[in-house]
Amino acid sequence: MATSGTGNEPDTDDTGTAVSLQNVRKTYQLGEPVHALDGVSLDITRGSYTAIMGPSGSGKSTLMNLVGCLDTPTEGTVIVDGADVATLDDRERTTLRGTTVGFVFQTFNLMPRLTALENVALPQLFQNVGRGERRERARELLERVGLADRADHLPNELSGGQRQRVALARALVNDPALVLADEPSGNLDTETEADVLDLFAEFHGGGTTMIVVTHERHVAERAERIVHLLDGKLERIEDLGSANASDEADT
Amino acid sequence: MRPTESLRLAWRSIRGHKLRSALTTLGIVIGIAAVIAFVTLGASLQAGIIGDISPDDQRNSYGWAADPDTEGGPLAGAQPVFSQDDLDALNDDEDIDAAYGYMPLSTQALVYEGEISPQSDALVAAGPPYIRENTLEEGRQFEQGEREAVVNPAVAGQFEEDLEVGDELTIALQGGQQTTVTVVGITESSEGLSPFEGFEPSPRVYVPTDPFYTEDAAGAIPGGGGGGDGDGTDENGEANDGGEADENDEGGDGTDENETDTDAPDGPGDALFLAIVVEAESADESDIDRAKESALAYLESDESDASELLGDDLEITLQTSAELLQQLEDVLDLLQNFIVGIAAISLLVGSIGIANIMLVSVTERTREIGIMKAVGAQNREILGLFLAESVILGIVGAILGTLLGLIAGYLGAWYIDLPLVYPYEYVVLAIAVGVLVGIAAGLYPAWRAARTDPIDALRYE
Repeated sequence: MATSGTGNEPDTDDTGTAVSLQNVRKTYQLGEPVHALDGVSLDITRGSYTAIMGPSGSGKSTLMNLVGCLDTPTEGTVIVDGADVATLDDRERTTLRGTTVGFVFQTFNLMPRLTALENVALPQLFQNVGRGERRERARELLERVGLADRADHLPNELSGGQRQRVALARALVNDPALVLADEPSGNLDTETEADVLDLFAEFHGGGTTMIVVTHERHVAERAERIVHLLDGKLERIEDLGSANASDEADT
Repeated sequence: MRPTESLRLAWRSIRGHKLRSALTTLGIVIGIAAVIAFVTLGASLQAGIIGDISPDDQRNSYGWAADPDTEGGPLAGAQPVFSQDDLDALNDDEDIDAAYGYMPLSTQALVYEGEISPQSDALVAAGPPYIRENTLEEGRQFEQGEREAVVNPAVAGQFEEDLEVGDELTIALQGGQQTTVTVVGITESSEGLSPFEGFEPSPRVYVPTDPFYTEDAAGAIPGGGGGGDGDGTDENGEANDGGEADENDEGGDGTDENETDTDAPDGPGDALFLAIVVEAESADESDIDRAKESALAYLESDESDASELLGDDLEITLQTSAELLQQLEDVLDLLQNFIVGIAAISLLVGSIGIANIMLVSVTERTREIGIMKAVGAQNREILGLFLAESVILGIVGAILGTLLGLIAGYLGAWYIDLPLVYPYEYVVLAIAVGVLVGIAAGLYPAWRAARTDPIDALRYE
């Protein structure tokens, strides 16, 4: 699985692991301690396509926040692109998040007053990339998701599928080590869902590491393997074979 | 993120809420406009007053006697205590170039060529030096002892046919008597020639104290000395150039004798001046001080007539125009500070308005903050973004307020006919205040935005 198509150079880690969780525990104090994650260990290799499934309350969101460097574990280690998230301060974690992780949300989460192009370019704004370079890169990605002609539209002038494609383009703009998608097709109808998932497969085929959190089986089945969570624990890992996603990119 | 990018993004947010942003800045606009307008007016007012002092007025000291507790400007509560004897004595003093009495006289009307123009308080009796050469547009000073007058343009121009040098003007006095004078000079402007008159333009006729005051004062008081002049004024006017004038000259001397004769300086027949003008040798400060000291020393000594009249209640004030102006300016400054203080309160209210709207804006955009943080925005970048927004609101408010204030100040100065002075340093100050208000108002909301937890923020509906 150690493909190297992403163009990301690992910081210290040459093992080809994009994300590594070791015995991760996340406890919230809500009156009494609640273990959102209770000793999860998981490795995600570079260039892989992983789906994370589980009913609500199983710890999907917590796992996503940890992998996305939005949160730190109570116990155990989370290593993203070679960096131990727990040892980083807020500023370093933000930088790591900005450069290493691309987010795609169920509700798209586009900036309402920025155009599609500006939304795609937004992550680079915080990495001090010049305006001209940003726009060029954003235009290129919009072209790849098939929205070059919608570059100057505001999000509310775009359809749900188009918005999610803008979000995907934004997630990819900094050339991240992994793209983290939380229910990416939850707000889409079946047809647009297929289009967006095809795009995911396409970028995965290009070498991007994909992690998709979902509770829908047919979405999860697009991945190479499905990680099942239940009550904060790793229930089982279902391997669907690597051929799965790459082939479907063309269908 | 680069500062220009913060500003660009902040500007986008502001433009996204045009009405709200406009209303928010309104508080600042009004506050700054009020400060600028009043400061402009105040500066113009001061310039207007200071601009009215001609340089050679500067060696004059203006004196009057009043209760020291009396508040107010020149002549407030003044009592007539200065006799001609005192003035003569002062004139002999080597520190003093000239000393003469000053007396505003009540009038009923001015008559020229049969045309009557009602006019009260238009007559000022003073010594010839009171009309300074450089304030004359044409003609010359009046001479003491002559029935001559200098008029200002407001008088000259109020008749169907303009008064000119050489014309005869009849003055109806308060008591009903009439006197006719020959106009010998016209001043350049209608503004007052000294702080006694005030500086606002108004019609005035300047005449020598002798005969007009000494004579009329005597005549106006029943049973007083110098009788016969009162009923003779009308005829005097007609026979002005004749022997009457000579007689008046003698009369001038005669009054002196009269006073010594009656031996009662406060006697009813004596003309007592309400105020005096003491001219120093030069406008040099030491000369002015010496003249003032000598004059005061004499007036307060037992030799003078004034000292007897002063009693315990009255005190002589002797001040230069500059000193009198300083008092006026102090009052203006106080007033201005007061108004600026009130305007500052409106600024405070304005900045609370900005803070309030920024807090609303932060809450409203919680999700956007979450998005930006998720895609790599640092806390200080979020802080900078919101701070930039409130600073822009502050600066825009300050700029609009400054423009509005300058326009208001300009209109005000134009309306009351003052020279316009733009207080440029206040314009710079206003912008600085706008920035400060923006920072002060935006700091807490921006800090709240910066410390928003991205996980909560992304979930925020």
